[in-house]
Amino acid sequence: MELHQVRYFAALCQTLNFTRAAEACNVTQPALTRAIQRLEHELGGPLLYRERNLTQLTELGRVMRPHLEAMLEAAEAARQAARAQAGSEPASIRVGLGPAIAASHVAGAMRGLVRLYPDLSVHFEEGGTAALVEAMLSDMLDCALLAEDAALPERLNRWKLAEEACTVVLPADHALASRQGLTADDLAGETLLFGERCGGFAHRLQALCGERFGRRQCGGSWVQMLDLVRAGLGLALLPDGLDIAGHLATRPLLEPRLTRTVVLALVAGRRHGAAVANLVKLCRARAPGPAPA
Amino acid sequence: MPNLNEQLRRRHLGQSAEVQAAYEAMVGELARGGFIDQVLAVGDHFPDMALPTAEGEMARLAEWWRRGPLVVTFFRGEWCPYCRLVLAALEAALPDIEALGASLIAVTPETGGRALAAKRRRGNRYEILSDVDCGLGLGCGVVFQAPVAYRALLRRFGHDLAERHGNDAWFLPVPATFILDREGVVRWRFAEADPTRRAEPADILAALRGLAAPAGG
Repeated sequence: MELHQVRYFAALCQTLNFTRAAEACNVTQPALTRAIQRLEHELGGPLLYRERNLTQLTELGRVMRPHLEAMLEAAEAARQAARAQAGSEPASIRVGLGPAIAASHVAGAMRGLVRLYPDLSVHFEEGGTAALVEAMLSDMLDCALLAEDAALPERLNRWKLAEEACTVVLPADHALASRQGLTADDLAGETLLFGERCGGFAHRLQALCGERFGRRQCGGSWVQMLDLVRAGLGLALLPDGLDIAGHLATRPLLEPRLTRTVVLALVAGRRHGAAVANLVKLCRARAPGPAPA
Repeated sequence: MPNLNEQLRRRHLGQSAEVQAAYEAMVGELARGGFIDQVLAVGDHFPDMALPTAEGEMARLAEWWRRGPLVVTFFRGEWCPYCRLVLAALEAALPDIEALGASLIAVTPETGGRALAAKRRRGNRYEILSDVDCGLGLGCGVVFQAPVAYRALLRRFGHDLAERHGNDAWFLPVPATFILDREGVVRWRFAEADPTRRAEPADILAALRGLAAPAGG
């Protein structure tokens, strides 16, 4: 495949018209037609139906379109990354953070990005999954870090950033803090804090183990939940990707083992700015895992 | 130690008849389509692009080639037994490459920290770039889509390229190695449809010596 062939195909997908696609690409129509024919030859079949008044993608064309567009976007992002320099257009990135998901999952990739865009500004927005998805679909956010969930719509591309395990957060002087790890049996009789924006581990543990724990509702985010733990109002079950400090102990929940997958999500098929496209590349190039300290 | 292409040949002869047949079908198809004619040729400008390094920085190719001749080689991934031989042979040739004032980078479509893993496994000193979604490969004309039968074979061997690449396009680079001058112009090239044939390190070194030699009169 050649860059110009893929570029012409992308223009055809947008215009569904050979004349207009040729104009958009600044080539003659025969040149565009020849390039498309070569691409079709290589991919093993027609990408478009050519009828008198109607140009349409074939099944093969529909299947190949997202792959070819993603490759073209990757080439353009790599080109723009090479040209980016201080003083050029200021780049900004708007990142959604799902419940109890730390920005540290993308902070390392952003360090790589700042080399290209020294004036990069970053805007984080915390929220519930549904609200963040809605914000991405209406182009209020470029991407979001979300817990992988069957409820995420098909329209989102997603890549795994990290696998997080449940950790029990308790006051440093709590009797259970002397253990290396904890089980559901250890927690029986303890009061657990339940919040809607804290990763959902308390709900999952209760669903698995039944009503063996005291229950205190705690609205707000995981930060407020930590304040309640410090004050002795209960224990919190939070993902181990959060940086938890200040007179608190964290102990892994060993039995049952609860985990979640944190993904980087973007609206599929949308043209993203070069800074966003390169941030995604940096995130995808890295090994998934806990955020480096 | 036999030269790289002899090692590759022996490795390929050790493959099952089924694997050999799948390679033959894939290579034949690419050759019939005139694929290699699309690859960037001597005299062409190499694309000025920046890609993530194994360590998670952004590296601009032009910053390398401005310092002296740059050898860029595409490889499929650490899952490919031929690529593993290539990466080791290039590491062995690196001191000679550097002695000629040149540098070397390898480029793979693999993601998820696999460039770093490949580098660490054998202590490679040269940089490995992650060509996420094959943008650089497209700019060089080296990308093709793995045929359906070959994909099925790779899956059976546990090589899920969709997972390794972070997309389910199943695009791969053909074996290709370029030597660029300080202007980013291709001065020497190796390109092959057959993954079991690669640029021989001795040939790369000879080409670098040719570049370094003053123009004859």
